Amino acid sequence: MTGHAHSVERVLSPPIDLNGTGRYVHWGVVQLSVANLVVIGVMLVVFVAALLLPFPRGRGRR
Amino acid sequence: MTRRAGKRAVPDPAAFPTRPYDLVKEFTIALVVVALLTAGLAAVFSSPDVKPVTLASWSRADGADFTATAVSELGGTSGTAQYGPPYNHTPGAAQKLGPVGLQSAAGVRVPVDTANDFVLRPLRNAPEPPAVSAGLAAWTAAPAARRQAWTSAYSDALAKAGGGAPAKGDYGPVPVLIARLLGLARSGALDGELQAEGKFYQTDYTRPLLFLSDGSYLESRARAEHLGGDQWGMMNETGNYPGQAWLWLYTFWYQIEPFKSSGNADALIWGLMALLSLGLMLVPFIPGVRSVPRWTRVHRLIWRTYYREQAVERNSQE
Repeated sequence: MTGHAHSVERVLSPPIDLNGTGRYVHWGVVQLSVANLVVIGVMLVVFVAALLLPFPRGRGRR
Repeated sequence: MTRRAGKRAVPDPAAFPTRPYDLVKEFTIALVVVALLTAGLAAVFSSPDVKPVTLASWSRADGADFTATAVSELGGTSGTAQYGPPYNHTPGAAQKLGPVGLQSAAGVRVPVDTANDFVLRPLRNAPEPPAVSAGLAAWTAAPAARRQAWTSAYSDALAKAGGGAPAKGDYGPVPVLIARLLGLARSGALDGELQAEGKFYQTDYTRPLLFLSDGSYLESRARAEHLGGDQWGMMNETGNYPGQAWLWLYTFWYQIEPFKSSGNADALIWGLMALLSLGLMLVPFIPGVRSVPRWTRVHRLIWRTYYREQAVERNSQE
């Protein structure tokens, strides 16, 4: 029973486990988690991409 | 409305060409993409999984901290006992924004008497050993000053003992009552007692959470996860998960003076953020600030094809 529960847990466990000790960067008064930094970076990339990527042109449009 | 001379007339919006646009299609695509992203990211990264801190886990992990906190709840000297509204009427405890007492304005809406709610009532509701019954009777019969002297002396003795057994002294029934409360907490009964609402689903964690927050155990656990108020904790999450990055400005003010050391920090920062939010809402009416988009010309980058075609047309006409 316990072995079966363990195998189910192993199958359902996520490939990347973010639980554990968090990593933080300190810069003067600023303390920022690496995870938040990654999200902020992704948001900036999406923002710049939204500015620079061309609009999709549908059929029948110029 | 008349326009000042020298400014170009605003073109009639109806004169621009139009094109069909399928809003439902865009909504559906966005919904599917976000749903797939949510399911995919949840499958890959799962979610924060920190075991909850309860009165039971706290009392088992750090009995000395639980005991010292319980004595302060009984003596009315804990953070909750002296918090002011919405829990009690502690004079001068409420935060103010200038002359406006924001915290007092709503009144005491969740009345909490820490001695009765956190210590005496749970003891009375649980089966009472004879020593506890006698202790409760002695506590009830004693005048307020006597009770204060007992809890104060026991609190000092616990602090001096540094987690060990306190020296002998005149503590009245306090040690018996607190020892029984510790036993109830360790058994898990105190969590249920403080959460009991008389309903089928008991979802109000206010009282157990207030009791927990009066001790140092919960705070030390939170600080270890960078969740403290002076650690930008408002925008953090446990482990390596991203948190509420959009609260960066709100939590930023708590890191700097004069808010950092102010007893009115919550009220002051709330007022400041309300003012800044109002400024954001009124951007179209603030001279200078409302012209920033025109100066930065980001719109020309987004609609660069249109402006390029316009330039070509203008050149061909010349």
